[in-house]
Amino acid sequence: MAESEKIDYEPISVREALTEMKDVSEIMIDLAYSAALFNSHELAEEVLELEKRVDYLAYIIDMNTMLAARDAEDAKHLTAVTTVAAATNKISDAAADIASIVLKEIGIHPIVRKAFEQVEERLARTIVKPSSILVNRKLDDLELAAKIGVDVIAIRRRQKWLIDPSEEEIVMEGDVLIVRGAPHGVDELKDVAEGKIKELE
Amino acid sequence: MAKTEKHFKEIVDKLVTLKDTSELMIDLAYSSLLLNSQALAEEVEALENHMDNLHTDFERIVLASGFNTEESKDFLGLIRLGVVTEQIADAAMEIADVVLKGLDPHPILKLVIEEAEETVTRVMVSETSRLVGKKIREAQIQEDTGMWVLVIRRGNWWLRPRPDTIIKAGDILIASGYAEGEADFKALVSGT
Repeated sequence: MAESEKIDYEPISVREALTEMKDVSEIMIDLAYSAALFNSHELAEEVLELEKRVDYLAYIIDMNTMLAARDAEDAKHLTAVTTVAAATNKISDAAADIASIVLKEIGIHPIVRKAFEQVEERLARTIVKPSSILVNRKLDDLELAAKIGVDVIAIRRRQKWLIDPSEEEIVMEGDVLIVRGAPHGVDELKDVAEGKIKELE
Repeated sequence: MAKTEKHFKEIVDKLVTLKDTSELMIDLAYSSLLLNSQALAEEVEALENHMDNLHTDFERIVLASGFNTEESKDFLGLIRLGVVTEQIADAAMEIADVVLKGLDPHPILKLVIEEAEETVTRVMVSETSRLVGKKIREAQIQEDTGMWVLVIRRGNWWLRPRPDTIIKAGDILIASGYAEGEADFKALVSGT
């Protein structure tokens, strides 16, 4: 178990924190199922990284909502906020539980995994190598969805997560891309990110 | 031994249904909050009961797989995945409960759930609707009405609309979108 980080009060907008929490928890669920079905330790570890972020946001939201209540009426409205934040946190905990199934090598029956693979779109993680043609290109210009049927659903840039990145985002060397799409498209993107393919068809 | 291909297919189908249902519940729960819609929150509640039955069925069929000690880990993974879908469903229920308990969603919550949905409506597909027998992909519902189908209720089943889902007469479509699209949507679905 990793050492727990200390948390200090930070005056951030509850709206921003809760929006991030909601987006991250939804991505965590997708990643976690993919991690289980493809038995991917990489994806499972990403899920646990995101879980840390959600836990942090949960504390910050609690602190800020407590400070925002001035009377009983406020408290009632804000209870709705903390309840939703707690439920969202629970969703991310569920995703983390799936990731643990993978990391503890409890595993999923291979035949079921194979069958699941056919019905579900595939998620994958890939790191952008310096030699890749993706480097310094705008997502919008790459047209990954149109060309190979792949969506970039998140980018991890060092410690920072860009969830559902904007079309204006520029891909940088070392970015970790979390992508979704049909298996052949996902494989193609991996080769492109690693610099093995120099052209997007 | 029960470990036939058919048996595994059933496990996969049930797991996919559990996963879809739990995700559908989350979508509906957030929508119920956004629209402060009692009707949608009640739909989440009904799904929660449905989920309990699905989950029990799933656990029974997994346990009926006839495995040895060696294989038990793989099946444990399946059981745990099932438990997780149940946890997600519970979380969705907690969100819908905010509406059911009349806690008046704080304006912040509306801003967080950013979709520009304004209204939600449920309409039954009539025999005469041009949607009958069409796949969601071909039905052009959003293009024609601006309404987006959140869920299809078919008897005691709820389906999450996928591009390949075929619409049948008698289906109840629950959709959200801008208020202006509602009349067009009702006309399209009810075939009037």
